[in-house]
This record gives sequence, structure tokens and C-alpha cells, in this order.
Amino acid sequence: MGYTRVHAEVHEYDVFARKTRVEPLHQVGSVVAPDDDLAMAYARATYDEERWVEMMIVPKAAIISLWAPGGDS
Amino acid sequence: MEPANSGALEALLKRGELVESTSEMTPDYLRELKHTLLFSGDTELISAPAYYLAARKAPSVNAFMTGIAIIQDELAHAHIAYHILEELGESQEDLIFKRDPKAFRYPYAFDVPLESWTELVVANAMYDQAGFCLLGDIHEHGSYGPWKRGLVKVMAEENFHLRNGRNWSKRISQAGGEAREELQRAVDWMFPLTVEWFGLPDNLKQHSTQLDYRLKGLTNDQLRQQWLSTVVPFMESIGIAVPAHQEGDGYVLDYPFPCTFDADEKRWDFKDPCSWDAVLKRWRERGPRNAEMVALFQESFAKFQVRA
Ligand SMILES: [Fe+2]
Ligand SMILES: [Fe+2]
Repeated sequence: MGYTRVHAEVHEYDVFARKTRVEPLHQVGSVVAPDDDLAMAYARATYDEERWVEMMIVPKAAIISLWAPGGDS
Repeated sequence: MEPANSGALEALLKRGELVESTSEMTPDYLRELKHTLLFSGDTELISAPAYYLAARKAPSVNAFMTGIAIIQDELAHAHIAYHILEELGESQEDLIFKRDPKAFRYPYAFDVPLESWTELVVANAMYDQAGFCLLGDIHEHGSYGPWKRGLVKVMAEENFHLRNGRNWSKRISQAGGEAREELQRAVDWMFPLTVEWFGLPDNLKQHSTQLDYRLKGLTNDQLRQQWLSTVVPFMESIGIAVPAHQEGDGYVLDYPFPCTFDADEKRWDFKDPCSWDAVLKRWRERGPRNAEMVALFQESFAKFQVRA
């Protein structure tokens, strides 16, 4: 969307986590960072509201959307 | 992207469904949503320097760490709102670092300096309770999906903030003596500031676009009553006086609303009622700490900026 930041090049990551083993992963938010290491640090510090059993981040660019609300189909 | 037509949006809102993408919004909905998000992001962000300047007066290292944990939460809350704004086409960097202090949109209360640990915990008990009511309403009734989901985390943490405020307020009140008098003085000036946080009374605000778009679900007066119904009984339960009492199903203020406030003295003049125009003027001009707080997070920006 053409914004600039303190870092010239940043990437967006979606953050997924779950609280218990029986529940599926769900999206808890997203972070924007210049690299994977900082993105991990941001995700850990920002989404610390629970004791997650699992947390992972995915670069948004790697997500292939098939359909979404508000889309054409 | 073609803007959605207002008929389709209206139907979607009527069905109680959530708006998920800009393609479903009318330009008007988008503008109102951005306003609401900006107010929320600015409020969360400004609470960080406001709380920090008071947390330095913490009575112990443990208490200080609790204060810092709350500040870190508030920054994450601000991030959530600003990040959604970014996805809606705004520049997060411009919003945080390049705006004039007076352009920030947050309740006037934060402009009046919190100068002691006691004032900080009263802020947790009353300001965070106000945030809890306002954000809880958006979490429950809000029509924008991404924000509604982002608020799950925020609500959990606000609950912790206000519990911290209540625990400490109770402790200080039980200590008695000078500590308790200081607590009462803090409540005396902060209580009416939080009452006005919820904005114009419903009889002066004829129409709310935010309600039309389900960007909130309750009116200003309904939210104010909700806040009073939690704060008044709590303060009474710990033996602290507040200028409001229960009458039937609702709460009634024991002072003219609005009335004049001396920010430097932190004193309300209950004998000097004023107009809402005068209140709006005070809000627009901002209060004593506005520029200092904004400088606290803006000043390093130029120093550390990396040019592409
Ligand atoms: Fe917050
Ligand atoms: Fe808070």
C-alpha cells in the first residue's frame, strides 16, 4: 500500500497459535518486521496473552487465498 | 476496487454479519471505521507514556515490573489498531511519528499528569475500566471482523489492568492514614474526568453514524451507566467516596455535568456548571501533558530512521 517505515523493506507475517493440544491452530494476529528473527520476537512479545502450547508465524506472501469474504465468487 | 453499494452493506449489517474486506464497505463506512480505529489506537498508545511517567514512582521493583507489563500490553493494543489502519491504506509510521501532538485523538483525561503510583493504580481502576466498557462493546457488537477478533487479546489484558488497579486501590485504602487520603484525592479529580470520557450525553447527540454502522452497539449514556455501575459500587466497597449514587436502575451524578475543571490544580468546581461547548473547547486545546507524552515516543524517530 506504499507506506514507508523505519526499515526500508518489511514483511507482514500472520501469527497462529493454540492454547491446548485438542484445539486447532487459529490466527491470533499479525506482525510486520524486516526479517524472520525480528518477526518471531515481535510475535512472542505482542501475542503473550496466553500460555500457548504452539505458536507459528507465516509470511503473508506465502499464503495462497482460494476465496475470501467480499471476493467475487 | 469498486466501492460496495450502500444497499448491500446495509443488508449485510442488518443480517448481523461481519464486514471482512474493503470491497464490502461504502466510502462512508470506511471513513467512520478509520475514525473509530484511530481513536482507539491513539488512546492505547498515549496510555503508554502516561502510565510510564507514573510507573517510575512505583513503591517496589515488583510493582514497577507490573507497571511495565501493563505498558507493554498497551503498546501491543495500539499496534493492533494501527495495523488494521495500515491494512485499510493508512501509513502507521505517519500516524505515530509524523503527527502533531494536538492531532492525536484520545480522551482528555490522559493529558492531566499521573504523578504517583496511587494515581496510576486509580487510572487502572477507572480509565482501564472505561476502556474495558468501550472496547467490550466493540468486541461484542462491532461489525468489522478483523477488529472484533483482534480485541479478544485486548479484552483479556484490560481485565488484568483493572484488576491490578482494584487490588492496589483496596490495599492503599486499607493502609489508611495519609495513603488513603492520597487515594481519595486521586479519585476526586479522576472520577469526573472518566465520566466525561464517554462523550456528549445522548440528548445532545441526536444521531450516531457509529451506531448505524454497528461500529459500536451502545450509546454514550448507556456506556457511561455501565461504567458507573462497576466503579461506584467498587469504590464504595473499599470505603472511598465518589460523587454519584444509585437511583432505581441507574446511577445519578451528585454534581452538575458538565462543570469547570482546573487542570493545573487537578480540581473540579462543582459550583461552576459549564456548557458542553466549553468542554469541547478544553478537549480541543488539549491538556498539560499532551506535547510531552507525544515527544516521548516521537523524538527518537528522526535519529534512528534508515533511509532506503
Ligand atoms: Fe489497552
Ligand atoms: Fe489497559
